[in-house]
Amino acid sequence: MHLIVCHLKLEVQLYKYSETTTPARKGNLTGSARKLKDNAADWHNLILKWDRLNEEGSSVAAKIVNSKISKESLKEHDVLMEGDHLSVAPSLVHQNSQELQAECTNLQNIVNKMAHILSKMEKMVSAGRGMCELEKFQYGAKGRPAPLFQTWSMQQFAEVSSRLYDVYKQELALKQTILQELAHTTNMDLSMVYLSSWLYQPYIEDSSKLLLESLLIETGHRAL
Amino acid sequence: MSQQPSSLLHQELRKCFRVLEANQNIWKSVLAECTPLMSSLGNLAEQLRALKNVELVNTPLAQFPDLKERLQYKLIQAIDTVLGKLSEKMYALQLVRDSISKQLLAVVQQYEQKADSLDIHSCTTRSAISPSVADMLEWFQDAERYYRVQYIQRKNLLQILKPDELVFMETAPKRWATLDSPRGEENISDVLHQVSFFMSSD
Repeated sequence: MHLIVCHLKLEVQLYKYSETTTPARKGNLTGSARKLKDNAADWHNLILKWDRLNEEGSSVAAKIVNSKISKESLKEHDVLMEGDHLSVAPSLVHQNSQELQAECTNLQNIVNKMAHILSKMEKMVSAGRGMCELEKFQYGAKGRPAPLFQTWSMQQFAEVSSRLYDVYKQELALKQTILQELAHTTNMDLSMVYLSSWLYQPYIEDSSKLLLESLLIETGHRAL
Repeated sequence: MSQQPSSLLHQELRKCFRVLEANQNIWKSVLAECTPLMSSLGNLAEQLRALKNVELVNTPLAQFPDLKERLQYKLIQAIDTVLGKLSEKMYALQLVRDSISKQLLAVVQQYEQKADSLDIHSCTTRSAISPSVADMLEWFQDAERYYRVQYIQRKNLLQILKPDELVFMETAPKRWATLDSPRGEENISDVLHQVSFFMSSD
């Protein structure tokens, strides 16, 4: 079984602060606006990193499943050989197990990196909440009279952040489950479902991509 | 006087084989681009079928809400994308078929116009550097038929794919590969070799 990566990749340009904001404009933005714009760029970069890790993890996961399959077939082979007192197969099984272990550790590292990304996302969500509080304190319940960028209120920024965060939180939970179960299932169909769930990230909807794009447009990272 | 019509026909035939030569390469490269697309189509169908076979409730994935529906949606979306790319490739193949068919029509028309003034002898004699007009017309006609039939067969295979007939979609890459006709391709190359002196004797 080979899982072919035919993932719809969103062609995105890597944004860095230095590229997106000219020094002059950077000087103009202060306080909440500066923070929001930086957060938007962070969202973009973190999601880009996440997607890269996802692709990387996907091929590791496929290797795990493939090596699992060959391990099973070696075991069968071993049983067949037992009658003839041949000891070649056990060493092969051992070698295969080591490879499997190495790939699992590899996948574990990738999931850890993704968890790290998620923790950064969480910080941005709480920063967003903090900015809402600050705004309430400064301008009262109605918020500031004119929007910071185009049309969004501070509340909307916070909502977008927390919606994106929820999506990735769910994805991470799914990936953690896949990581735990992938090497322990003997059901081929289930292994396949694990692999496709990993690659296609079912909780990341088109609307999440739209949210991110809107965030980038609103903060001026993307030209209209 | 009798030289004139046959030399015009020769010119048109040269054009035919130039078109054939150019399109043979396009055809081959487009087909080569289709192979990975077909195999990802088969692979996606396999994933979709695995998803249908698994009762997620009895697995560690039970805790994830709407996972089955969501994953199914993603897989079908991916299939759509692949099919979209394949239909672009089919369009490229159609252009190959069309330009060869158009050229065949042109040369046959040319021949029919001149038929009265062409005697049978001048159509059937060949020389050291040029095959006979009759042979060349036949070869070109064969080539045209080859691409026409190939195109129809491949188009047909893609048209009968349905998302709910996963087994058929899974076997599609194999079916696609069985449509390959090395013999047919070889014939085209043979023809092009046979007319190579004729082509350069402009």
